[in-house]
Amino acid sequence: MADRKRSFGFFTFGLAFVLVIALLATGCTQSPSGSGTTPVQTLKVTGSTTVLPIAQAAGEAYMNTHAEADIQVSGGGSSVGVQAVGEGTADVGMSSRDLKSEEKTRFPDLVTTVIGNDGIAVIVHPSNTVSTLSLEQVRAIYLGTCTNWKELGGPDSAIVVIGRDSASGTREFFTEKVMEKQNTLPGMLEKNSNGAVRQTVAQTPGAVGYVGLGYIDNDVRAIGLNVNGEAVQPTVQNVLDGKYPVSRPLLMLTQGAPQGLAKDYIEFIKSKEGQAIVVDEGYVPL
Amino acid sequence: MGAGHTQDHPSRTQKWLGAKESAIKTVWFFCAIFAVIAIFFILFFLFIDGYPIFLQAGVWDFLTGLSWNPTGTPPSYGIFTLIVGTLLVTVGAMVLAVPFGIGSALFISELAPPRVKAVIKPAIELLAGIPSVVYGFFGLIILTNWIRISFDVPTGESWLAGSILLGIMALPTIISVSEDAISSVPKEFREGSLAVGATRWQTLSRVMVPGALSGITAAIILGTGRAIGETMAVLMVTGNAAIIPDPIWNVLSPIRTLTGTLGIEMGEVAIGSTHYHALFGVAVVLLVITLVVNLLAMVILGRIKEKNMAPAKKRCGMPQSPLPEGRSWHAPVTRHLFWVLTGVVSLAMRAIAGLAGFIVTFLVLSGIYLIKARISPKIAQKIAFSLIVASVVTVLLILGIILFDIISNGLPYLTWDFLTQPPRDLGREGGIFPAIVGTLYLTLGAIAIALPLGIGAAVYLNEYTKEGRMTRLIRTGADLLNGTPSIVFGLFGFAFLVIYLKFGVSLVAGQITLALMVLPTIIRTTEEALKSVPSSVREGSLALGATKWQTIRKVVLPPAAPGIITGTILSVGRAAGETAPIMFTAVVFSQRYLPSSLFQPVMALPYHLFILATNVPGAEGNKYGTALVLLILVIAIYSVAIAVRNHYHKILRW
Repeated sequence: MADRKRSFGFFTFGLAFVLVIALLATGCTQSPSGSGTTPVQTLKVTGSTTVLPIAQAAGEAYMNTHAEADIQVSGGGSSVGVQAVGEGTADVGMSSRDLKSEEKTRFPDLVTTVIGNDGIAVIVHPSNTVSTLSLEQVRAIYLGTCTNWKELGGPDSAIVVIGRDSASGTREFFTEKVMEKQNTLPGMLEKNSNGAVRQTVAQTPGAVGYVGLGYIDNDVRAIGLNVNGEAVQPTVQNVLDGKYPVSRPLLMLTQGAPQGLAKDYIEFIKSKEGQAIVVDEGYVPL
Repeated sequence: MGAGHTQDHPSRTQKWLGAKESAIKTVWFFCAIFAVIAIFFILFFLFIDGYPIFLQAGVWDFLTGLSWNPTGTPPSYGIFTLIVGTLLVTVGAMVLAVPFGIGSALFISELAPPRVKAVIKPAIELLAGIPSVVYGFFGLIILTNWIRISFDVPTGESWLAGSILLGIMALPTIISVSEDAISSVPKEFREGSLAVGATRWQTLSRVMVPGALSGITAAIILGTGRAIGETMAVLMVTGNAAIIPDPIWNVLSPIRTLTGTLGIEMGEVAIGSTHYHALFGVAVVLLVITLVVNLLAMVILGRIKEKNMAPAKKRCGMPQSPLPEGRSWHAPVTRHLFWVLTGVVSLAMRAIAGLAGFIVTFLVLSGIYLIKARISPKIAQKIAFSLIVASVVTVLLILGIILFDIISNGLPYLTWDFLTQPPRDLGREGGIFPAIVGTLYLTLGAIAIALPLGIGAAVYLNEYTKEGRMTRLIRTGADLLNGTPSIVFGLFGFAFLVIYLKFGVSLVAGQITLALMVLPTIIRTTEEALKSVPSSVREGSLALGATKWQTIRKVVLPPAAPGIITGTILSVGRAAGETAPIMFTAVVFSQRYLPSSLFQPVMALPYHLFILATNVPGAEGNKYGTALVLLILVIAIYSVAIAVRNHYHKILRW
């Protein structure tokens, strides 16, 4: 009997414990940290992981001056961005590719706004001695016809080919622009984001991958592309000048013309201050 | 049937009581049938979304096609390489996990002194609590690099890396189920064997293990089920190249699994496209494979129960002769198993170290086998016991390495600001406060949904019914739900809650998805707890005139509470650590404010860690900090559950 009493006491105690935690957790909602006031307007931004760093940084800058706004940025991919805005589950979509014809027929009211540009850079491990490749050579690597760095004037080591998953907008663009729509080799390692490609290339000496300009840092080395005998580095300036051949516009999508907070937010990105953020994040301004 | 029915002339109050009783019973019935409905609903919904691909590509071509390239020109939707990848990674994991798992189980149940056992057993249970995304994180940073350098291959992202991680993850299941099986072998068997002069090792290897063989088999199948359904860890370390290793035993080849494909492609696919349907087709195939594996485990476990029940009835008579008819086939089976294992390991070594490695391994293993017959039982025992101890030490060492790496790297970042600030600069700076709160919201919501349903179902199964077709159906439903891969829950949540019901990516969608996932655990642990209450107590209460429901509420549930609480806490831990079910249904990447309604998305710790580890360059510190917080949270929850269980095991004796 004593045992039963004790265990029942424990049950009540357990319940109380759960309730207290729940209360604590809800208590926190009233006072969002980092700012005194509760936001009154929320803006859901979702889509391409390539555009995400810009949207996130711009969102943070915008919220710093507009306490009433709560801008929630999430990734997923260009297709998710198109879908979410079309279905009304998000306010602003991000895309690193143009709308496909089937998307245009399904969501005829989508309006695209270009907020910047991006170049796609081919990256290798910093220890790799190869510094320039022609588009044909890059294609040969991704077709699987060229499998050793030796053939390209580099060290004698196998090429580890890294690319994006087949749902990716970046892969689609790469396939179109670099691969001329030919299929990549089946042994390619597939990653689900720019960051993951960069991470793998950074820790694999024989690796080659492709990422947006914003993801180049000291852990990886960007390869110059050989255009008509001239080596063109993937830099913001070269994309702006139209010299670097692999670049694309970055888009924000809205259902109809942007309005209210969405309009303010997109205009903020297109403003001088916003474009400075675009450059800061390593992308190409308008 | 309530007490009211036994009266000849029921009065009004009794009528009302009877109505109340049957209403309560109906409510519990619906709770119980919910599991069955859920599993059919999941199957139905996945199939509806996967059906178009079977039409378009043809079932046979879809299953046997060698090329998976949904955005190629022309697109191809063949998942044979993915099925092979899933099977290979799983087999590899089992080759690694089974010897260590059984060795550890033997150590815990037979060799360990009580005090050592009291430490090791919970430690291994904690291994089960480490979230898969933490394993993946560790694998990505440490394991793949280690493989690349030590085997001198271009990349460490490989079948081997996936198998090692999955092996570690399957270990706790294998160890605890095998240990249960070995412990439940009647002690007369052991005593009899020792009494006729067998050594401890002979007793162990020829009496205890064969006696527990079906339990151990079930443990291995359950471990296999866990390995097949795992997503996050596999996705992070196998490289995801849709190829069949060349040659087929090349463990250093990258590989791609069914779950990994869903994990990396689902988030980006255009909804309604052929590619989208193809992914649901993949989910259907995955679900069918796990259902088959789990049904197999259930059948085997069911057979053991029958076998255990039979001698139990005759227990008071003569002790049963150990291993009736078993001897004749157990020995050849183990022998064949040994040679198969030798072959597999040798082939693997061949891939790693070339032909010489293959020959050396094969000779060494065959040598061991041939010598084994010629050494004295005492020396054999010494060798065997040191191998068993070595396997436990290895398992604990692995646990130690993982914990050390994450704690030592994460501790410096564990500051007050880190815990209380929202993230800045894509999570590279700032803290993880919204992720901690988001994880709490998700898990508490999931428990709030699953707990009443689960307890109701268990009460109905255990208190209101006799064993029959209906209870078997409900139990099978719950067990199948238990074996469903977490990524499949994620897909279901996405297709049904997010898209079909138009919840959008939201807190409530994640809570419901997680609730479905933890429901079976709650049903099962509650049932165990109710079963441990002796029926004499119920009979006493009924005899004093209490109704069925009064008896359950006032007499049966209170002493069962500790067991129910333990199950609930374990579910909280599991829900808190899962990534796959919430990544398409509930989470956003970054958030400054906390969600103010159920229809807003949240941040969550496991997803935040996944993103920091794979998407955001230069977040070294916050990555480890997040991993450590997640680890502390989940391990704390598990420790509480283990402590509660151990405490009440000691004081609750009937």
